[in-house]
Amino acid sequence: MAGIKFATPAANLDEYRNVFVFLETREDKLIKPALEMIGVGKRIAEKVGEKLYCVLLGENIKKEADVAVSYGCDVILGAESPALSTYRTLPYSRIISDFVKEEKPNIFLIPATRNGRDLASRIAVSCEAGVTADCTELDVEQDTRILSANRPTYGESMLAEILCRKHRPQMATARPGIFPVPEKVESPKGEIRIKKASIDQSLLRKEVLEFRKKNTVDLTDSKVVVSGGMGLGKPEGFKILKDLADEIGGVVGSSRPTVDMEWITRDHQVGQTGQTVRPRLYIAAGISGKIQHIMGMKNSETILSINTDPGAEILKYSDYVINADLYEAIPALLDSIKEKKKNLAKATKK
Amino acid sequence: MTLEIIVMVKQVPDKQEVVIDPVTMNLNRSLTRNVTNSADENALEAALRIKDKTGANVTVISMGPPQAETTMIECLARGADRAILASDRFFGGADTYPTGLTIAATISKTGKFDIIFAGEESSDSSTGHVGPGVAEFLDIDQITYASSVEYEDGHVIAERELEGGTEVVKVPLPVLVTVLLNSNTPRMQTLRRKIDATRKGIEMWDHDRIGLQPEWVGVRGSPTIVRKMNPIRERERAAKKIEVSSIGDLVDELYEKKILKLEDE
Ligand SMILES: Cc1cc2nc3c(=O)[nH]c(=O)nc-3n(C[C@H](O)[C@H](O)[C@H](O)COP(=O)(O)OP(=O)(O)OC[C@H]3O[C@@H](n4cnc5c(N)ncnc54)[C@H](O)[C@@H]3O)c2cc1C
Ligand SMILES: Nc1ncnc2c1ncn2[C@@H]1O[C@H](COP(=O)(O)O)[C@@H](O)[C@H]1O
Repeated sequence: MAGIKFATPAANLDEYRNVFVFLETREDKLIKPALEMIGVGKRIAEKVGEKLYCVLLGENIKKEADVAVSYGCDVILGAESPALSTYRTLPYSRIISDFVKEEKPNIFLIPATRNGRDLASRIAVSCEAGVTADCTELDVEQDTRILSANRPTYGESMLAEILCRKHRPQMATARPGIFPVPEKVESPKGEIRIKKASIDQSLLRKEVLEFRKKNTVDLTDSKVVVSGGMGLGKPEGFKILKDLADEIGGVVGSSRPTVDMEWITRDHQVGQTGQTVRPRLYIAAGISGKIQHIMGMKNSETILSINTDPGAEILKYSDYVINADLYEAIPALLDSIKEKKKNLAKATKK
Repeated sequence: MTLEIIVMVKQVPDKQEVVIDPVTMNLNRSLTRNVTNSADENALEAALRIKDKTGANVTVISMGPPQAETTMIECLARGADRAILASDRFFGGADTYPTGLTIAATISKTGKFDIIFAGEESSDSSTGHVGPGVAEFLDIDQITYASSVEYEDGHVIAERELEGGTEVVKVPLPVLVTVLLNSNTPRMQTLRRKIDATRKGIEMWDHDRIGLQPEWVGVRGSPTIVRKMNPIRERERAAKKIEVSSIGDLVDELYEKKILKLEDE
């Protein structure tokens, strides 16, 4: 729809008010990054005394609209149609661009998931807006209402602060797993505006033939992640990590090469091209600590590494270091934990 | 009628050799070797496979400084038919908006297009926004994050890798497809083609040739600006050394600090 047009600055910046977030769904259910957007969007809206608008599209969205309101959304802008049951670029970007043009938000945040990125740049071009990709820090300047969009760059060694001074809305995609899921609000009140969408057939020519779900573990939900790397030496090594994880209520993670070697499935991978985790405890066994792995786990609260190499890069990122063969250290750790549990059970019985 | 395929390729600094100037905190480009963005090599390969099957014409397009010519020659040597480098001092400093605009305008100038390929993202900007931006400017459909791409009478059928699984989609032409890194094995360059390409050279188009005003493109046409670059400071961590023999103490400490919870949560 855009045509080849340069980006015209907004004529009147004051006209643009409120914060939009896009609530991504799968099978009409909000996904976790959507909740993360509500959290960061709400914080930004409150700082400048504005409202949080949540954009929600799907076939049957009333229930999820209520959920969004329970997390603090002020206004739901919804569009419903059987044609919107799964994400498709053209109908979604057209409907949402129309919302933007009608409501004129100052800021618009979208999760940097694959579909989120598929969508964000189309809206930005259609609305002649500026967009900053894959942000890990977002804030707003109180007086100017300028969005401070921060994204890692140069292999995560630098953080670039990016501003959009004259174009509206100020758009950003936000990296999943970085912003916390907000608490539910005490007495939620939000206005729900859902319209039946009528969609031009020309926007519906993409057919989604099938979706093959992968059996995936969501590492981002777990408080404890026990990850293994090439130091395991063999696929069977993941077995003792699983035993340890089971004992302490955790899940198993991995570095990328173990996935490439097919020792474990891709959904376990932590890092730049895997998942970003921030558990209470991250155990890295036989992982050297290359930047692409570090990116996915460095914000964990406590990090314990087990590595035979006293010079491994992972040390810099560790709170505790066991400089030993993991096949010695992990069983010892497991034994100690079982022992401790036994003692605790005894103590409570008394 | 012959299919017209466009491939968007970008020359990027070699990741292995990124050097950051300690004073300006900018990339020191003079010390960094330039290479073709890896995912764009996969995009070109996806295009060439359709060419093998259908006899399509494959045109590679890049926006960048004149030295990006080496990337374009490489693409010709792998099997592309035509290479256009949109190069102009006015194009410098572009964010994703004018980058998309410039590439879309260049594509329009070539005339007919059926399939446009791009990489999933570039290793230096890593936004993944330029491909979809081009599709929006040209008002065509798109398929992003494709791991496999097939052409079948007038349609592209592709698998998209998403967070929870694989989506299979079918889209009539014209369509823009962004291709995942490592989703195929790019073919080698041939010496014969390389010699031909080097002899023939590539086409260089400036803003005038493309029909763009200088203020629409580059830094002037960019809605966003970089205000600051800050080194990312990691939290200092103690790296406290634990002997295997004293793992029991570690377990106690983690338990006391409520890092390790041994009761059900
Ligand atoms: C574009 C790109 C994206 C990438 N994305 C990711 C990503 O998302 N996630 C990721 O993890 N990687 C990623 N990588 C790969 C990354 O660069 C590293 O290659 C990888 O993280 C290394 O994995 P590793 O630590 O398991 O293996 P290695 O680097 O081989 O390290 C093995 C470690 O085990 C130790 N060790 C050996 N034996 C033992 C033993 N018996 N007991 C204890 N320790 C032992 C060794 O001292 C060594 O430190 C990516 C790379 C690229 C180019
Ligand atoms: N300057 C450019 N010239 C040609 N293609 C580009 C350019 N910048 C980005 N692209 C294409 O867009 C894809 C995504 O890039 P990016 O949005 O920068 O992550 C790349 O893989 C290229 O295919």
